[in-house]
Amino acid sequence: MPDDFDKDVYPEPPRRTPVVEKQTSLPNIALILTKAWGFAVDAPVTVFREWIERQQAKRKFYYYHRVFRRVPDLTNCLEYDYPCQYEAEMQWRRDFKVDQEIIKIVQDRMKACQQREGESYMQNCRKEVELFKQTAKAYQSRYEDLGAHGGARQCLMKQKHRMMEERTRAAASTS
Amino acid sequence: MAGMSLLRAVAGFAGRFNTIRSGFVKGHFLKTPLQPNNAVVRHGHGKAMFVIKPTQFYDRRFLRLLTFYILLTGIPVTAFITFVNVFIGEAELAEIPEGHVPEYWEYYKHPITRWIVRNVLDPPEKDYEKMMAVIQIESEKAEMRGKQLEVRRLMRERGDGPWYFYETVDKNLIDHSPKSTPDN
Repeated sequence: MPDDFDKDVYPEPPRRTPVVEKQTSLPNIALILTKAWGFAVDAPVTVFREWIERQQAKRKFYYYHRVFRRVPDLTNCLEYDYPCQYEAEMQWRRDFKVDQEIIKIVQDRMKACQQREGESYMQNCRKEVELFKQTAKAYQSRYEDLGAHGGARQCLMKQKHRMMEERTRAAASTS
Repeated sequence: MAGMSLLRAVAGFAGRFNTIRSGFVKGHFLKTPLQPNNAVVRHGHGKAMFVIKPTQFYDRRFLRLLTFYILLTGIPVTAFITFVNVFIGEAELAEIPEGHVPEYWEYYKHPITRWIVRNVLDPPEKDYEKMMAVIQIESEKAEMRGKQLEVRRLMRERGDGPWYFYETVDKNLIDHSPKSTPDN
């Protein structure tokens, strides 16, 4: 079964269901249908699921998330030291995946906020939108346009160009 | 006239014998004696037609055999996977406890994946080390080849190395006897 989401990050709006005051003598069809669904589908499925969970509770076992050690970066590798470069490349790829998941989560939060607020999303979702814009800009400046064989080397070269541009801009602004 | 009626009566009587004889087959009487012009016909939904259409035998045989061979392994595999999912179930996510180093298969969720990783595949650490070993060997080979090319170039250029000269015969093998005395 899927895990429950974090209630602080994705808050639910307060409920505004009115109190039901029956004013007709007609039967409440919605209530009848809900009860029928509950008896015909919901209850048997819940009983079956609980039986399955009881069977699975007898043989419980766990899984963990892998923790990787940090290895020297590409900047700390000699030019012809290929095993060192391989380790640095693998570490860069793991960090790349982590960054992709980070930006997916930030995007999810923004989309959830927009769905939640409905028509008034532009005022109420400012924080999420700002966070997403900053994260996307950072991700773009680091990982965009690395090419099909984009790896740690290409990313490092891109960082070098970024720093060079920053330096020329700083020099141009002071002089 | 009386004779005619007598003849007719006798003919009628003889006709009854004919039906008796025709109904007497193989020592038994038929329940209804054979009546040549009275066939029993059932009137069903209409006139019975012999429809001529192409055979469906081969197509239906193919589909029958296809279902048979798919279900021959499909049903046991489905039953096995269902039992594993119902009775063993997936693993739960937990924090790594202090001082416990998990085995390499304990990082996966589904029990069948865990079994495959434990019994069939190599641990990912071993795969990593195998790749690093390949890279190390190939880098050493490339280094050796580069050095050989450089050495060859330098020896050709300078001419003072063990390569790139023509071999001469050993000096001690030369027979100096024809020229050893001045009178030969």
